[in-house]
This record gives sequence, structure tokens and C-alpha cells, in this order.
Amino acid sequence: MSDPLQGTLLLEDGTIIHGTGTGAPGITSGELVFTTAMTGYQEALTDPSYRGQILLFTYPLIGNYGTTPVRDQSGTIQARGAVFSTLSPAGPGQASLTGYLAEGGVPAAAGIDTRALARHIRTQGAMPAALAVYPTGAQPPLAHLQAELASCAYDAADLVSEVTLTQPEFAGEGPTVAVLDCGNKRDVVEMLLARGVRVALLPATTRAEDVLRLDPIAVIISNGPGNPANAPVIDTARALYGRVPLFGICLGHQVIALAAGARTYKLTFGHRGANHPVIDCASRQAFITTQNHGYAVDAASLPDDLLVSYRHLNDDTVEGLSHRTLPIRSVQFHPEGAPGPRDAGIILDQWLDLARSPELTGVR
Amino acid sequence: MSGSGRRLSVDSSQLIAHSSQLSAQDPERTTQNARLPRSVLIIGSGPIVIGQAAEFDYSGTQACLACRAAGVRTILVNSNPATIQTDPHIADTVYIEPLTVPSLRGIIARERPDGIIATVGGQTALNLSVALAEAGILDEFGVEILGTGFDAIQRGEDRDLFARTLRAIGEPILPSEAISSVEDALAVADRIGYPVMCRSAFALGGAGSGIAHTSEELRAQVEVGLRASGSGQVLIERSVYGWTEVEYEVIRDGDGNAIVVCNMENIDPMGVHTGDSIVIAPSQTLSDVEYHMLRAAAIHVVAALDVRGACNVQFALDRHTGHYHVIEVNPRLSRSSALASKATGYPIAKVATQIALGRSLPEIRNEITGTTAFFEPALDYVVAKIPRWPFDKLPAAPQISTRMRSTGEVMAIGRTVEEALDKAIRSLGGMDLPPGRHDIATPHAYRLPAILQALREGADPGEIAAASAIHPWFIDRLQAITHSREPVSSPPAFKLVDTCAAEFEARTPYFYRTTAPGARNEAASLPGPKAIILGSGPIRIGQGIEFDYATVHACHALSAAGVASIIINNNPETVSTDYSTSDRLYFEPLDAEAVLAIIENEREGLIGVIPQFGGQTAINLVSALQKAGIPILGTPPEWIDAAENRRRTSAILTTERIPAPIWRSVDRWEDLPGAVAEVGFPALLRPSYVLSGDGMIIVHSPADVSRYLAEHGHKPLERPLLIDQFLEDAIELNVDAVSDGREVVAVVMEQLDECGIHSGDSMEVYPVQSIGPELLARVEDTTRALARAFHVVGLMNIQFAVHRGALYVLEVNPRASRSVPFASKASGIPLADLGIRAILGERLRDLTVPAPRQDRICIKNVVFPFRVFPDLDPILGPQMQSTGESMGIGETFPQAYWKSWLGAGMRALPFGRAVLLDGLPQPERGILAAQFSATDSDVVDEIVPDLGLAVVLGRDAQHRKILRHCAATGIPAITTRRGVRALLRAMGAEMIAGVRSDDALLPV
Repeated sequence: MSDPLQGTLLLEDGTIIHGTGTGAPGITSGELVFTTAMTGYQEALTDPSYRGQILLFTYPLIGNYGTTPVRDQSGTIQARGAVFSTLSPAGPGQASLTGYLAEGGVPAAAGIDTRALARHIRTQGAMPAALAVYPTGAQPPLAHLQAELASCAYDAADLVSEVTLTQPEFAGEGPTVAVLDCGNKRDVVEMLLARGVRVALLPATTRAEDVLRLDPIAVIISNGPGNPANAPVIDTARALYGRVPLFGICLGHQVIALAAGARTYKLTFGHRGANHPVIDCASRQAFITTQNHGYAVDAASLPDDLLVSYRHLNDDTVEGLSHRTLPIRSVQFHPEGAPGPRDAGIILDQWLDLARSPELTGVR
Repeated sequence: MSGSGRRLSVDSSQLIAHSSQLSAQDPERTTQNARLPRSVLIIGSGPIVIGQAAEFDYSGTQACLACRAAGVRTILVNSNPATIQTDPHIADTVYIEPLTVPSLRGIIARERPDGIIATVGGQTALNLSVALAEAGILDEFGVEILGTGFDAIQRGEDRDLFARTLRAIGEPILPSEAISSVEDALAVADRIGYPVMCRSAFALGGAGSGIAHTSEELRAQVEVGLRASGSGQVLIERSVYGWTEVEYEVIRDGDGNAIVVCNMENIDPMGVHTGDSIVIAPSQTLSDVEYHMLRAAAIHVVAALDVRGACNVQFALDRHTGHYHVIEVNPRLSRSSALASKATGYPIAKVATQIALGRSLPEIRNEITGTTAFFEPALDYVVAKIPRWPFDKLPAAPQISTRMRSTGEVMAIGRTVEEALDKAIRSLGGMDLPPGRHDIATPHAYRLPAILQALREGADPGEIAAASAIHPWFIDRLQAITHSREPVSSPPAFKLVDTCAAEFEARTPYFYRTTAPGARNEAASLPGPKAIILGSGPIRIGQGIEFDYATVHACHALSAAGVASIIINNNPETVSTDYSTSDRLYFEPLDAEAVLAIIENEREGLIGVIPQFGGQTAINLVSALQKAGIPILGTPPEWIDAAENRRRTSAILTTERIPAPIWRSVDRWEDLPGAVAEVGFPALLRPSYVLSGDGMIIVHSPADVSRYLAEHGHKPLERPLLIDQFLEDAIELNVDAVSDGREVVAVVMEQLDECGIHSGDSMEVYPVQSIGPELLARVEDTTRALARAFHVVGLMNIQFAVHRGALYVLEVNPRASRSVPFASKASGIPLADLGIRAILGERLRDLTVPAPRQDRICIKNVVFPFRVFPDLDPILGPQMQSTGESMGIGETFPQAYWKSWLGAGMRALPFGRAVLLDGLPQPERGILAAQFSATDSDVVDEIVPDLGLAVVLGRDAQHRKILRHCAATGIPAITTRRGVRALLRAMGAEMIAGVRSDDALLPV
């Protein structure tokens, strides 16, 4: 047993919250956001889209079923910190989440009234916060926390560059699907491989011409962290636009909108969870999706030929785009779930069907 | 997604002969041109029985309200008067009529509804709807089964069809085969290997289901199962005892949109009926991959069945391999869906009803968050459910398995599993371990306290997990709650149940308390004036749905009087814990700690607390509330106490010159024989402060007294024991009354069974039949005198006996009784509502009180759990054993009498069938023998096969055997001389015609 730790959170609006400390001792900062997903803490913590953020879990018992490497969505814990109500011990023989966080060097706070804090974020908006984990009995390092908080510049940062690959990676057999890695999750690659394609996972900074040289049947711009306006992939998307079937997931969806000249804006506290209802604007079929985004596409700014294909049933925000004539499609939500449902997993089939359809040979 | 929906529908329609057209392929059925039915018939679930309790009052009531809100003319039928749904204002037309095919045919012929909703009245309504369809009645009158249709019900309920449907879509199901004979069962078991699980089709609460390890066990099991099965089928499948049991509550609309409202993990592994399992929501030990694997499978199954409404899907999950099997589905509202509704705040029955009316999930508004019903609740708390078993009351072995035996359940909410479980245990009033050794390896009603005890004594958690097959993670949580907890008094922190984990601003007035360190309170005090109504907790024998009825009425009456209502209760099945019933709901244990914390939070503007609608549970809290200086509304606590105290009651009766049976009270066992001698034989022995006759017995001789002493004399006598003169062959009257302190409004009912049989177990008639106006006036005068003497404000219940022309008072209870719903419905006087008006200080003379109805006869009948507890003594006595009641309404006594039996689920009518007249002397014997083809048990070795009615006055083993047979096969049994007199009244040609004709149906 390691020595007992304390945890203190300092929010940008001056709110200070004390709890117990867990994970790795130290100080961290990031945008404080909450997810309402009740399972999938390991998938969420390793989702590169949480880069630069401190992740609060509204579900009060996190850690129940331990950790295991197969659930990782990337090679490391991506969230800068985590906030729990109860960090629950795992079952016998399972690797604990506490140990996992400590090994990952991620500070976390527990014993927090996460519901009260989630309500605070809901009304005040997602905001920068700093988190210190330090030995019990020591004074809260408020000055350090202030300094760390001052260094947090979530909205201005280019977080994609922190998480993208440095070298291309290839897997599978079949026609090539290029994935521009802005912070891609492993399960997207696995779902593509299961659909009989060769996946070329490329650094986000790969030039459009180099992408096309792979002769892909489609290019997918992946999910990823931060303000889409700062993502170093918008020019590439613009260059690929209309030249290849182009698809986007989450940040990739926002990037396609930006490449088409539309605007994105920041939501008060975003959509993060595994229960987000989305409706297909054409068929009126509805399905439950996993979401993880703080920015959204402004429907009013879309060019005439880029149609809203999906909307969020709760707040009517744009959840998907479809080009009137070109094979360009995107979704704000995560068809791969992980964590969460794959009710929308069929979208990947639809995209690949579209990419393979004979009418598109001209486009390629 | 539409794509997967299409694929599924093709698969199932190819393979299932009865498959109906599915929505995805049906261009006509779009939501835009969905035609709203003009009128809908909703079928209730009948009397409360084990396996079918208040949850169907909740779902049926929600369904009625949803239909009426949509502007659809709503017709409800149920034979159970103790329900909110049978209140006149819930539906446009209410029938309290037997739930039988002829009765329903009559209602359909008269009302001509466009559709019926079959899925909100439990297995009873589902089976009845199938029977109506199969009898051609629905086609005859052009009635459509709305929502989940006939074919979907068949695919979900017919075990063989279900297995074929699942195999067709590739969902794993246990190797199994449906059989209809013992020989086939043995052959199937040889193929798939022992142990095998037997499940009977279309059976309620797992009746006739169980595990067989050998061919002998299988033979016995199948014989029972075939009898219990509605279709003569039993499914034999491989047993997965010890796997984790997980349930998903799915809602799907006619467009194929589906969501999961909630999943639940049973702490008890597979092998225990889910109704008897300790359940946690949401699941705790499932990873995201496992959670969503089962969630996707649940939706997949529900789509293949083409459910259009709510459906519960049960899985067995092997936690070591991640493999799963679909165990079964309930394509209807269920106990689990009620629990899921209360656990999440998502109103499943209301939404399912709107789907039945043709709406799609995205079209249905979510009242809580202002979004739509296409939404999956996110919980930020943990819910624990623990069943309430009747083994404290019924002398039966507390074993539990695949046949449900609990009468009710409690639910508790906390921020950890430990907090939720601890609160659930408190909601049960603790879980005391009876003396003796308690097995941990096999499931029984005391296993949880036994495990806690073993952990407290230092047992190894790993060994307990291995022995019990309970997930070690849960054993660790149980270990944590063994560290004794001090009651936490302040500061109270209440959290909202909002369906969305704080993501939206929600409008639910639904709170729970947490004592997590540092938790902040989000329940700002409700603006006054307001009053707190204490609920009655879990349904148990003696304290059932009747108290919930009174609680709900009290709430509505408070609102009507401009006083905000706050309910504290912990029973997830009920209407009272529907967050839309009261202005604020605290889902909390009914103990002093929780109630005082809530009062502290609601102090400002609080007029007081009303305990008189919550049964004994609420009354027991009065002294703690009084000590804390909380105003008690209604009858003052000292007078509640006086009524509970026999000496004080007796002194008051003497002062008021009201006769009562001779009685004595003893504080020491050795004084008992002398006291009995003074009272004389027969005498009634009973402990004071009891609910529904616990521990009561009638002694006829000194030998009986010796036997009683031998049985109980070793225990310390904590409260005085009372000895009453027993008035043999008296007429017992049951009076429910409202008093404003001066005047009373009284409803007088007559018991049709012997005085001495617990009033809850006796048939009862309104208006009284055997006493004249003069005596009736004396009953009313005495009621008024007692109300004044006991300073009763609100409801009271009095038991009288008429013995040789003299009137005796047996019991005075200054609170709502079990019979309030029947009394209110029979007389047309809204007792609970008037009670609230009186409690709020109004005078009865200033209120409009309807004249008591005299234009018809109403008879209450009762149902007993003898089928579930075969080792129970079927001889009635002063200890209550019944679980529920039915009401028969007729223009004549015979009509009401037979309807009450039919309404209690008894089979048909006895005319033309054999009647057993065992031990019945003349002249009754001769009269009955002239009417029926009578027989005697002593002239036949076997019980008569075409038996239609039994009169059994004897008390020996043979008589008990006959009574058990009657209970098991649904044959009315009369066991008292007074009961025979009622039977004789019910004879006559006019009633035979009356009961059989559709004209006999009387809308309430």
C-alpha cells in the first residue's frame, strides 16, 4: 500500500475542491469535462480525443472490473487527469485502475462530489482546471496550481500534433483506406480491418498528394482532440475534397466542414457519453451513439451542397454531413463506440459501400 | 439502424410461420399517418399474487393516463379493487370484473374498443389476450392488439418458437427442447445432459420451473411444470447454475428504433428467480465490451421478436469466458421494468403505451429533460433491490430457486453499492438471521445476512465467493458493509434522480439521500404549506397494495386542498413511488434516521407528518417523530398508542360502556394457563403490537395451551400476551370510517367467514346482509362513540362481532386499513380523500359526502399463496395468509358471489360438476346435494376429477390434502359453516343466468 494522498482541484473560476489523491502524485492541468458513460473508463482515458483534458466521470464507481491492455484505444493514457467519486477496487486477480493511472503517470482525485461538479460545469461551461495530487498532511500547493492553471490553453493549442503518428502504419489486405490520424482510436482500425480493407494509418501532416499516391478507395479523417480550427489537417482535407471519397469522424467531421468553408463553435460543456441520441434526417431512424466533442459545426455556415445528414435529438446540433453530389460524408459521433454502443457501426459499411461503388471510379 | 433492422426482419419472417409484416418493410406504417385508435381496452393483472404484485397497478395506471392524455377513450378491466387503476378517474370506463374470456368478451361486445393493450397487466393480461385472439373474439369485433402484437407475444412466450427465432438470428440460446410429456423430457435430458433446467411456458413467476439433477427429479419437476403451464409445454434446457445473470430493459417502437433503459446485474447467480434475486442497477462487474455485447444482443432479440413496446431480456454470462446465453424475454411490462423505471426515472409504461398508440420514440416527449423518449438514461448512483420474503409469517422452508417466493421488494439508492445495499437492508427493517446454521452454498431467503454474519466472524471472502458462486467483487462490497455504521444525522445531502447524470436540467421531484463525505445537497426545501406522507414499504402479507392505494389518495387529496405532498417510501413497484404522484418523492428507508433527515431538509413550511396511511410501518415511526417534536397530523399519537395498548383500550371501552370480549393480559408465561381459565375456552391468544395476526392462535383446551407454551415458552416475553374470549359462530363486521373528531362517515362490511378467521383472509360483503337496520344503527353509533373516545381525526378501522344478538368490539385501529379500497369502491365514498380533508381540519358536515351505494352487492374474495408454498397449512385461522383480493360486483348476492371467485382466478363455475361436501351436516348438505352432483372424500380414494367446488369443514390430513388440491387447481373451497351459509345464499337459478350473461357486467 502506498502512502495516502490528497487531491485538490482548482477551477478557472476560482472553485477549489478537495478530495483524496490517487494515480500519480504531481500537478496537471487541462480543460475539465465530464462524461456520463457508465462503463468504459479505460477506453475513455486512452482515447486521444481526451488529450489536454481532465476527465470527470459522473458514474460514481469507476474501476470495478480493473484494467487490461486490450481495452486501450491508444498506447497511453491520454487524459491529463481524472476525477472520480469512488475509485473502486477491482475484483481479485484484476489489474487495478489505481495502479494503471500511477504507471501512466496520471494524477487523479477521488472522493469528490462529481455530481455537484458536473452540475457546475453544466451551468458554467467546461473550463480550465488544475489538479494536484500530494501527500496527506501537506498543504495544498495552491501557488503551483495557479501557475499550472495559467499555463492551460486548451482552445488555442494544436493538440493533434501531440497525438498523431510520426510514421505511417499499414495493416490488413485489400483495397486501401487511408486514415489521417488526428488521434485515431484503435477500434476504428479494427472495424475497418474486419470489413476487408487495407488500412493505411497516416500522420495527420501527410500531404494530400502523398495520401493519393497510395491510391486509397477512401480517406477517413479521424477523431482527435482540441479545437478543430487548430488541427493541422484542414488544408489537406481541402486538397482532398472531391478528389477521393472523403469521410470524417468527430474532429474529422469538423475538419471537413472547415475545409468546405463552414464554421465551428464551442459548446458550453460538450457531448461526452455513451447515450447520445442521433436521428438520420432522411430516414428518421434514430440511434444511440457515443460522443466526445466540445466543438460543433455551425449549420448556418454550411455551403449549399453540404447537407446536414444527422442531428442530435436533444439539442438539434449537427451530427453528420453529406455532400449533395460528391462522396463526402462525416459524422460527429463515434460509430466505433469504445466505450459505448455500436448501433451506428453500420455507417462504416455504408461509407465503404459508397467508396467501392463503380460510379465513383471517375472521382478516383 | 435501418439496415440491421431489415436484415433481421427478413430472417425471422422466413423462418417463423406466424411472422407479421414488420415495420421496416411496411411503407404504410409511417409515423405521419399513424392512426390513433379512438378507444382502447386495457387489461389489468387481477389480485396480487406472488410474482404479480403492485408493479402492474403502476404500469396499468400509467398506461391509462397515457391513453387519456392522448385523447383516446380508455376502458380498464381488473378484478382487483385494491388498485389505483380501478379508481373511477383513471380510465373513462372501469370494469371491476373477472379476468376471464367470457367476461372480456362481454366488455368488448359492449364497448367495441379499436384495440387492446395486452402488455401492462402482467402474464395474466398477456395470456388472456392470447386466449381472446385464439378464440376468435378479437377478429369477431375487429379489435387489434396494440403495440407488441399477437405474433410477437407468441415468439417471446412460446418456448419452442422463441428458441427457433433466436437460432435464426444467431443469438446463443441454451440447448433446449420443448416437451409435452414426461417421457419426452427424459429423452431430451439424456441428449443434453444433467443437470437440466425445466421451464414451463406461459407460466407466472416461474411456476413449475426448477433444476433437475436426476431422472427422478426431472420426472417430478415435469409433472408439476406441465400442470402449471398455460400451454401444456415444458422446456428442458442445459442448466447454467452459477453464471452471472444480467437483465436489459429494452423499448422499441414501430419504426424499429430501440433503446435500453437500464441493465441490472443480479448478485445472486443464475439459478435464482430474478424476482427472488438481490439486484444491482446498473451492472457493476461487466466491462464496457461485455455491457455492450449484451446490450446489442438484447436489441437484436427484441427486433427479431418485433416487440413494439417494452421488453425485458435476461442473459446468463460466463464471467470467465465472456460467453453468454439468452435465457428468456418478457415481451411486456414486468416487475423488472417497474424496477428499471424507478431506478432510472424513465417512465417505461407511459412510453410503451404511446408506442402502442402508434407513436415513435423520437416523437414522444421526455417530460423530465424536455428532450425525447429516444434517450438512454445515464445513472450517477447505484440502485439495490432486495426481495421481501414471507418466511417470517409463513411456516415454510426459506429455500429459493427458480420459482419466485417473495411477496414484494425494496429498492434503495446510494452513491456506492455499499450505501445502496445498506439502505435496502434498512428499508426491510433489517435482515435478522434466525437462530441456527445457515448454508451459504445454496440460495435461501437468509443468505445475505448469513454471508454478512460469516464475514463479520472473519470468514475468507474468497471462500464465500467460491461457495456461493457470487462474484467476488460483490463479496468484497459485502465485507465493506459489515463495518458497522453509525446513523448519520447531519447535514443531509439529497440528490436528484434525473435520468441523465446531471447533463440536463431535469424536472423530476425525485430524490435520494447520500451520506458520502462532502456530498452537497441539491434538494432545496419545497415551498409550503406541505405535508409528509409516510408510505408502507414493501408488499408483504398483511401490508399490501391497499396501503399504497390510501397513500396515493392522500397525496391527491392534499394537492386538491392546496397542500404540497411529500412521499417517503421504498417500494419500487408502486404507484406511490411514481415521481408524478406527489409533489416530491424521497426514495428512502422508512426508519427514523432517514425520515428525520428528510424532515430537517423540509422543515420550513411543513405542516406535519401523516402516518395513518402507511400501515404499521409508518405507525411504528410515530414515537421517534414525536420525540423529535415533529407535528403528527390526524389522530394524536397518544391516542394511536392508546388503541395499540389493550389495557387503555379496555379502560376506554368500559368508560364508554361498549361491550368487548372478556380478556386478560399476562407478562409472564407461567400466568398464561390461569388467565385462559378465567377467560374460558375457546380463547384467542395474541401478542400486542402485531400486524395481521402474527403469532395469533385459538386455543380450545388446556392441551392447546400446553402445546403453545412448549412452542413459544422458551422465548422471553417482551410485550404482554393477550388472551381474549373467542366468540364462536359470531358475525364479524368490519368498519372503515372517517372521523373529524366529532362526526363519522362509516362503511360497514360483513365478513362471510367465521369470526376468528383473520379479516384479511375472509370473504366480505357490502352492504351487510345478516343484520337489520337497528343493529346497523348501533354499529354506526358505536363507531362514532369510539372515534370521539379515541380522538380520531382521519381514518379508522373497527372490527365488531355480533354474538347472540349482542354487539362486541374486537379491535380499534386509528389508521387506514387493508379494506379501505374495497370499502371506498363498494360504497362510493372516497374514504382516504375525506380522511385527508378531516386531517387538514375540515368538518365532515361541510363536505359533500356521497350517500353510500345500496344499489348493488359487492363481495371481496381472497387469494392464497398455497400453490407457491405447498407446505403451508391451508386451514384458515387468525394469522393472515392471503396475498391479494378480488371484488365481485352484482345486482344480486349470487352474481357478486360467483364473480368474486372468478375474479380471484378460480376456475369457471361449479354447476354440472362434482361438489365435495366433506363433513357437512344437514340441512345444508341436503340443499347442496340437491343442486350439485355431490360426493364425499371418504367415498373416493382419488380426488374427483371433475371437481367444481369443495366444502371442507374437517381439519385432518385428508382435508388438508383436498384443500391443497383445490388451491393448486383453482377450485373454490369453503371451509367454514358461515362460508356455507354464504354459498347457500349464492344458489339459485337466476344467478346462474346472471353470471353467465354478458349483461351482468357492471361498469363501476
